[in-house]
Amino acid sequence: MVITGETLTEDTALVARTLRSGQKVRSAGNVLVLGDVNPGAEIIAGGCVVVMGTLRGVVHAGAEGDETATVTALTLLPTQIRIASCITRPPDGQPTPDVYRPEVARLKNGEVVIEKYVVSK
Amino acid sequence: MGVVYVVTSGKGGVGKTTTTANIGAGLAKMGKQVAMLDTDIGLRNLDVVLGLENRIVYDVVDVVQGRCRLKQALIRDKRFENMYLLPAAQTKDKTAVSEAQMIELIKTLRPEFDYIIIDCPAGIEHGFKNAIAGADKAIVVTAPEVSAVRDADRIIGLLEAHGLSEPHLIINRIRPRMVESGDMMSVEDMLEILAVELLGIVPDDDSIVTSTNRGEPAVLDEFSRAGQAYRNITRRLCGEDVPLLDLSEKDGFFSRLKTLFAGR
Repeated sequence: MVITGETLTEDTALVARTLRSGQKVRSAGNVLVLGDVNPGAEIIAGGCVVVMGTLRGVVHAGAEGDETATVTALTLLPTQIRIASCITRPPDGQPTPDVYRPEVARLKNGEVVIEKYVVSK
Repeated sequence: MGVVYVVTSGKGGVGKTTTTANIGAGLAKMGKQVAMLDTDIGLRNLDVVLGLENRIVYDVVDVVQGRCRLKQALIRDKRFENMYLLPAAQTKDKTAVSEAQMIELIKTLRPEFDYIIIDCPAGIEHGFKNAIAGADKAIVVTAPEVSAVRDADRIIGLLEAHGLSEPHLIINRIRPRMVESGDMMSVEDMLEILAVELLGIVPDDDSIVTSTNRGEPAVLDEFSRAGQAYRNITRRLCGEDVPLLDLSEKDGFFSRLKTLFAGR
């Protein structure tokens, strides 16, 4: 079941709902989700992905090769993150922390790194 | 006019049929006119769980294909005269009935009953689509297992896509000791992912095995813990405000549940 979000701006799709298992969003541009992305849900975006909720599913940002694309979520607990042609998953057997902060995933030297989300002024 | 509930889960073996039987019998005990409809064609079970297997003459396929009248296929329960079962066929498959036929069938049943409870087969294919076709509301059953919660999440998404939004959730087979020791998903863990209204929690209870094998719904057994949980669920369906069952002898789990319930 592919869900097409509303057009927020020319290059950003808005998905104002929680994506459940089996639901999929495809967009050539950026994707903004107002809700959670549950395990088994999938987002494929040409640009960046921002999840205003918990990201537990699979996200592919920069799917058409954009290595500057990022994945940001209020709580980042993905099954898998793909940026451009790089695939990564959380390390096995790591306990989940009690407190979550917004985090951003981006490509650095060909590897996906997760950093605390800092507002750039 | 009756309300039509479909009991569904996606995953098999989490307790759809047991839940259907217990909610149906619970509502019947409260004096409501109840019809239960088994849509698991080819793998029927509801008749066995209700102890009515030996009374089947006609089934749902005979009705929709015009081989008998609806009244002939409806089996009156041996305990309650206000409870009926429309059994599934065992020698056919899911394609023997269409969505349009199901909608038509439910239209005929609706004026005669207060509650119509549909037992949905496992899976998301033809049988699932038939089962939800004529329903007003959905009850999603899940168990405290990661795979069952995944499937419940998928089912909730599919229900929404078919216009059955805001389903009720029943969490079945909770084992308080295992939750306390951190070996089992807690009610909160599951609600965090599924984010739907909780209709009830049913503890894992050995007496369910005995009661389903005997064809006596646990809801009628005053001493059964699971039966008590189902009695509460039935009362909530009738609009009563009933607190969640105290699952544990210890305070910790109960107080967590209480906060959860108060927070809704």
